[in-house]
Amino acid sequence: MPAEPRRAAAPIAGVAAVALAAAALPLLTRDPYYLDVATTILMNLTLTMSFRLQVSTGQINMAHISFMGIGAYASALLVTRAGLSFWATLWIGALVAALLAVPIGSVALRVSGPYYFLITFAFSEVVRLFFNNFFENLFGGPSGLVGIPKPGRLFGLVFDSKLALYWLMAAISVVVVLALVRLDASRFGLVAGAIRQADLVAGTLGVNVFRYKLTAFVLGSFVAGLAGVFFAHYRQVLHSSDFGLEPMVLLVVFAVIGGTGSVWGPVVGTIVMTVASELLRELHHYEILVFGAVLILTMLFAPEGLVALPGALRRVLARSPGRAAAPTGGGVAP
Amino acid sequence: MLLELRAVSRRFGGLQAVADLTMTVAAGTIHGLIGPNGAGKSTVFNLITGVIPLTAGEILFKRERISGLPPSEICRRGVARTFQATALFREYTVLQNVLVGAHLLAAPGLLSMLLGSGPARERERRARDRGRGLLESLGLGAVASHVAGQLPHRDQKALALAMALATGAELVILDEPLAGLTDQEKADTIGVLRRLREQGLTVLLVEHDMRAVMGVCDTVTVLDHGVRIAEGTPREIQTNAAVIEAYLGAEEPGA
Repeated sequence: MPAEPRRAAAPIAGVAAVALAAAALPLLTRDPYYLDVATTILMNLTLTMSFRLQVSTGQINMAHISFMGIGAYASALLVTRAGLSFWATLWIGALVAALLAVPIGSVALRVSGPYYFLITFAFSEVVRLFFNNFFENLFGGPSGLVGIPKPGRLFGLVFDSKLALYWLMAAISVVVVLALVRLDASRFGLVAGAIRQADLVAGTLGVNVFRYKLTAFVLGSFVAGLAGVFFAHYRQVLHSSDFGLEPMVLLVVFAVIGGTGSVWGPVVGTIVMTVASELLRELHHYEILVFGAVLILTMLFAPEGLVALPGALRRVLARSPGRAAAPTGGGVAP
Repeated sequence: MLLELRAVSRRFGGLQAVADLTMTVAAGTIHGLIGPNGAGKSTVFNLITGVIPLTAGEILFKRERISGLPPSEICRRGVARTFQATALFREYTVLQNVLVGAHLLAAPGLLSMLLGSGPARERERRARDRGRGLLESLGLGAVASHVAGQLPHRDQKALALAMALATGAELVILDEPLAGLTDQEKADTIGVLRRLREQGLTVLLVEHDMRAVMGVCDTVTVLDHGVRIAEGTPREIQTNAAVIEAYLGAEEPGA
């Protein structure tokens, strides 16, 4: 057990590794398929990391994907209907998601534990049905919102190729990873983890538990909105089901398999599982069965996720389970 | 008066847990709150620290009303507590536990946490130094980097106290600080409490060890069935007929 697990993660080295890996990929291959998989990994990464930011304060927000959807639809409409530039709506879309998160979080965070889980789940269904069934001329109804343009030019740079869009998503991801890793290593991360472990004790030590949780909720929603905007202009088509239960469950699976106790867990989980999902493409809808099995196995044998495996193995090999068997964050807590 | 409870009541359904309780805690004293099991002692602590709301009455700290405020705000005003079932952040190291307690004194804004600005780092370092100093003074210096959930009982008790002190509180409320300790450990803890009093801190404690309570407290309040039946110096309490009748009782002499 390192002296201070939370701070010992060498945050900057990890961010540099992610940035280097992202920068090196196009040197290895420019095959559109691999670039697409890599871009998807980066998109998923921002989602799972921002989801984990909320988990770190003890909330399992089943509506996280809805805020991605809100950012996506907001940007798509602002570009197609109001003629705004993608470079403006990238921020506006994320801000819309964050602003909506304030009242929604304020209501949902009045409860905690399973009630919070249920209330956010209900909200996500409301959002999905809203996009699906209301204002069909705006959101496109069941047939989806089509004809979303790719990002326009910026400083003479053109974003119409897979490679250019990959670079854009890589840049967004590195900023998001840097911000979330810094936040996790700061006092915010420390207090957030304290809330997750014992919110009543944190409260009596002067921590405004509600404010911390709401901050995590709103910040997480901003990042989800950011990912949503990119998604809209990358795929150029939006369906309400893109932001439904199935992608939300996958997001949770990615984060939990990687491990929510560490800020790097979702990174590992997302990379491993997105690659696995591509390898299992032939299974189509049955892939979720495989994911379910992997999730159960993870919960049974590595409840702290893949990211905690090296440490666990080292402990087993050192045959001193009692000495250093300190859990550093037990999967999805309370 | 540092802390004043004015006609405080708390009802749980049909049960009157605390009835019309008036008591005051003077600054710089160690004040004991005793009574048989179910007398309402822990409820009183929960009422003072805002963990549960009052049914009637009011609580003042430094002449300002604190009843009705959330626990975090009451702590900000200078009241910190420990819990009967020692409550810690079990996955964190001892130092991290104390740093959470010290966050009030070091809490920087969200932006400066993201950017890691100079003043934020400086505040952070000061909080660390203070935390380490506090741990040293409570005999926890050697285990500062140990995981809290794996500490022996005695160290967990000491850590809970350290966390409360780290908030910079003027009044610390301790729920059974001696429970489960050996005689030597009890003596050490009592020594710590005396030292805190010398430093000007005020302590309010619930404790079942009567010898310890009578030895260390300046004032003792006795509760029975949620009602205050006596208040005074340990000597007065020991000779109070109502207390002997209701609490010490004929069946349990010197309990």
